[in-house]
This record gives sequence, C-alpha cells and structure tokens, in this order.
Amino acid sequence: MTAVVDLLLTRYNYVAVVLLLGIGVYMIGASENLVKKVIGMNVFQTGIFLFFMTSAFVTGGHVPIIKEGVERYVSPLPHVLILTAIVVGVSLTAVALALIVRIYAEYGTLQEDVLREIQTDE
Amino acid sequence: MAPTPVEAGLLVVILGSALATAVLRDVLGSIIAFSAYSLGVAMLWVVLRAPDVGLTEAAVGAGVMTILLLLTIAKTVRPSEDRVLASFDPKTLVLVAAFVLALGATVPALPAVGSPDAPVVSSEVSQYYLDHAYKDTGVENVVTAVLAAYRGFDTLGEAVVVFTAGVAVVAVLKREVTA
Repeated sequence: MTAVVDLLLTRYNYVAVVLLLGIGVYMIGASENLVKKVIGMNVFQTGIFLFFMTSAFVTGGHVPIIKEGVERYVSPLPHVLILTAIVVGVSLTAVALALIVRIYAEYGTLQEDVLREIQTDE
Repeated sequence: MAPTPVEAGLLVVILGSALATAVLRDVLGSIIAFSAYSLGVAMLWVVLRAPDVGLTEAAVGAGVMTILLLLTIAKTVRPSEDRVLASFDPKTLVLVAAFVLALGATVPALPAVGSPDAPVVSSEVSQYYLDHAYKDTGVENVVTAVLAAYRGFDTLGEAVVVFTAGVAVVAVLKREVTA
C-alpha cells in the first residue's frame, strides 16, 4: 500500500499518462460512434504528450528562455517534439473527420455496428 | 517530490474530463468535455514550464480541434439519446485493464517527476541546446531556436504533413460534391 502511495506522490504524472492511455484505448475500442473514436484517439495522443513533457520537467527549472543568472532550465527538446506532434495530430484528426463526413454522406450513419451490417449486406 | 496543489488539481480536472468524454453518450457532450480536457492540458503545460506548448495546445487542441469536431457533427448527425451515459463494453474494459496494468508496471522504473537526475533533463543533448542556442542563432527562446534552426528539417516535414492533410481533406470532401 505504501508503495502505491509513494508512486502516486513521486510519479503522479506517469500514473496519469497510463490512465489517459487507458481511457483513449477504451474509447477507440468501445465507442460505437466514429466521432467519439476520433476523440479517443486524441485523448490517447495527449497521454503520450504528457509523458514527454513530464520527462522534460525538472523541479525549480526555468522556462527554456535564456536569461542572465538562471542556473537550471527545463529541457527544451521534448517541447519542440510535442509542438510538432500537436500540429501533426490536428492534421490527422482533420483527415479522419473528413473521412467521417464522407462515410456519413455515403451510408447515412456513423454507428459502427450499423455500418458493419450494411457492409455484410452488400 | 509530491505534486503541488495546482498540479494535483489540474490532473484531477484532466482525468475527470477525459473520463467524461468516454462515458457521455451524447457526442456533443463528449466534444465539450474534450475541449475542457484540452484546456486543462494546456494549463498543465504552463505549470510544467512549457508556455510555447501551452499556447499551441490552447489554440489548436482546445480551439481548432473543437471547431473541427463541431463542424463534423453539424455536417453529419448527432444521435439523440435519452440516456446520459454510454453503455458499458465489458470485453473492451477487460482488455483495457490488462493494457493499463502492463503499462502501469513500468511506472516504478521511471524517474520521479522533476528529478534533476532524470535522463532527459541531465542529457548532453538538452545541455548542448541550452548552452549553444543563443550563441548559434541569437534567439533567446531555446524552443524556437531548436524548432526553427537545429531541427528545421523536422519543421519542414511538419509543414509537408499539414499540406498533405489539407490536400487529403479537399480530395475526400470534393468527391462528395461531384458524386
């Protein structure tokens, strides 16, 4: 029990990462609605971002903008990677949502189970 | 190092709104919860000393993404249901529980949050950028220096991805009009 409390107190962000990834995977797997699957994908993605950002963080670290007299900065590299990843994630979401609009125009539904039925009927 | 009250509060908001996106049956409700989630995440980035990422997340994650999702349900359908909560999927839940346990088992092996000995923070690469960025590029913001100078090709690749996504969206939606 103390080990779990210790984990929550020292590695709280990583615990949150694991939970967010879990929620994301659940949404992708369990949601019948395609839009909700895309939201789940985004939750999963932000979980990964949190992992990177936490790895860059150091207690007492300064924002990575060079200033006289500051000794310790947080690491700038994960910030750059995640900036890129956020933009790529939005592009990905835009394409996914465009496909969803197209699927709706074609089949008139966004429910996965109904779509599967239509496919087996064809 | 225990979390500060702000960090703990933000994590609770983030996990709570993420859970809300998953359990709400209504897609519109799910989208609203997602935009609250993105805003919470943006604030957490600021707490983690990453204002650039926080700004991008607030503008793109909470702003653009919400608009895209809302446009999608405006163009398609918002299933109207009387039930507030989505039905449970026990089979997926078991799978997810296994996934979470497997991932969770790796957490004790990770360095404590904010530890100065953590591999990323103490690595040579991070230190190189912090030491040389201003001298090499004249930019005080190291994140900008790395993004635009050291990893400029990476950013070019990002622009290519955005362009390709734009082309893909137009290609997919245009066929709908002509069909």
